[in-house]
Amino acid sequence: MNALAVDDLRKTFGGEPAVDDISLTVEQGEFFSLIGPSGCGKTTTLRMLAGLLTPDAGQVMLNGDDVTDRPARERATNMVFQDLVLFPHMSVAENVGYGLARSGVTEPERGQRVEDALALVNLAGFGDRDPSDLSGGQRQRVALARALVNDPAILLLDEPLASLDRALREDMQAEFRRIQRDSDTTFLYVTHDQESAMSMSDRVAVMRDGRIVNVGPPRQLYTDPQTRFVASFLGDATLLDGDVIRREGPDVVVQTGAGPLRADADAASYAVGDTVTVAVRPEAVTLGGGDLTGTVTDVAYKGFYEEATVDCSGAELVVRRERNTAAPDTAPSADGGTDLPFRVGETVELGVSRAVLVRDERR
Amino acid sequence: MSVANTPGRLRDWLVAGSPLLLALALGVFPLLTLFVESIGPGLGGENYAEVLSPLYRGALLYSIGVGVGVTAVCLAVAYPITYWIAHRCPDRYRLIALVSVTLPLWLNYVVLNYAWVWILARGGVVNRILVGTGLLDSSLDLLYNNISMGIGFVYIYLPYVVLTMYVSMERLDYQLIEAARDLGASDVRVFLDIVLPRTLPGAAAATLIVYARIAGAFATPEILGSPGNVMIARLVVQAFRQYTNYGFAAALSFVFLLLVLGTLGLGALSPRVRRELRQW
Repeated sequence: MNALAVDDLRKTFGGEPAVDDISLTVEQGEFFSLIGPSGCGKTTTLRMLAGLLTPDAGQVMLNGDDVTDRPARERATNMVFQDLVLFPHMSVAENVGYGLARSGVTEPERGQRVEDALALVNLAGFGDRDPSDLSGGQRQRVALARALVNDPAILLLDEPLASLDRALREDMQAEFRRIQRDSDTTFLYVTHDQESAMSMSDRVAVMRDGRIVNVGPPRQLYTDPQTRFVASFLGDATLLDGDVIRREGPDVVVQTGAGPLRADADAASYAVGDTVTVAVRPEAVTLGGGDLTGTVTDVAYKGFYEEATVDCSGAELVVRRERNTAAPDTAPSADGGTDLPFRVGETVELGVSRAVLVRDERR
Repeated sequence: MSVANTPGRLRDWLVAGSPLLLALALGVFPLLTLFVESIGPGLGGENYAEVLSPLYRGALLYSIGVGVGVTAVCLAVAYPITYWIAHRCPDRYRLIALVSVTLPLWLNYVVLNYAWVWILARGGVVNRILVGTGLLDSSLDLLYNNISMGIGFVYIYLPYVVLTMYVSMERLDYQLIEAARDLGASDVRVFLDIVLPRTLPGAAAATLIVYARIAGAFATPEILGSPGNVMIARLVVQAFRQYTNYGFAAALSFVFLLLVLGTLGLGALSPRVRRELRQW
């Protein structure tokens, strides 16, 4: 059964739809992420699911029950807020036990469950502390425990990692994933950070302008984005416009500004002569011996790899080259110097190993 | 510590010390003279013995009772008002709402009391409306009792309580309320578990400001209160002006001050209040 089923949910602020008829389902035990840029309506959606905001239209089902008209306190959802909002005048244990106390769980069961929840988030023995005595990561865990301990049908997380620095954020991502598995709770995670969403989630929904434009497992969204927006929001992509010049089995060949590109497509839906957009990931661009030729216009050092922007007769492609960190930049290597850094103005030959057709998401 | 004797250090002491000295002089000196007056003549303490006679004991207790009661009503009224202004009112109307609630602050205190005489009198606004609309056959006696005095007190002191409470209420993170609701708290629980503890410093500050002034008020009980219920201020004024018994008036004032401090201390005994006060 679906832990959550949302049907045509809508919310309008001052005439502008913030959430525009979205529908989605989340399975029991799934880690589902809702991602999109700021203002795309993801937090509004989450607040409607929590019951903190009343939708204008649509339906919210939790474990098969219609909860659309129920207030937050009568819903089997619990939320981890972006600012965490731990109760500052209560101890860690009082914070975590608050929901249990409100639903009538008495001591000693409450104390036991609070202890178990704190142990689950690796904070055993922290019950007597005040939230203000904890570090950012520890507060994060308390907020998670406070929500999880109530055994919600679905746990709603509103960008709880946004305020952490990068290293801590990556630790917490792994922790979230582990805690989600260990507690077997359904997670709905809202974020604008596609990297963390992709690394944690079973499935991801990409939102834009109040609509869900693409749903699927992270790998599928990354390799086969359906729209221009999804292609460029999830990782880097070069988008090239062009015309279909012929069909080859399931693929089409598109004449772009950079040259002809063979792209994956459901060939039946495109005819020769159609104007289309092709998305190319930087890692699908190979260096040397390809059909395309261009001039390096910009070079960016990225650590273990180097990224060059290449102008191929007006169309810009991005190509990456791993750096051999063992060899210094100036030492020519055996195969003729491919370890040398890119140079602006240099002419390179490029091949494209994989490209996908994407559509414009505007309906 | 050779630095201590440099002229710069001395100047610092003077700069910091003179205002402090002035404040101490203004605050403590009159109190000191009053106290010396109260124990004279001849260090007898008869003044204090008289204060504790039943007549004065009654007035003192009544004043404290009025102070506690009216302060409680002010807080009870200010809570929903400030909650609404801080968390429910649309941003652009907030200032207007706050100003209109605190408008009485800018009018003369005595005038404010007489406004209620005009409203509650036999020929006043309320009676005219009640009789005029046929709800009542004849006018009611609404004035010169505890109710009319209470109304006057609340009307005059509510703005102070609202302004003080508003600061606390505005600092209360609304997300805490949402978090509590999300965890299953009813409205009553949200108030008891979140709103009350987070705004207790504001309530305590408001109490400090208005409680003693209400208990020791002179004009409102004189203008709106019952002639039979004597509050302490009238007795002090009588002792000063009618009987010119300064010693007794001073003793009365000191006992009252001790009572006020005592009741405030009683409030501070509550562990919850103490915990909040420590965060100041």
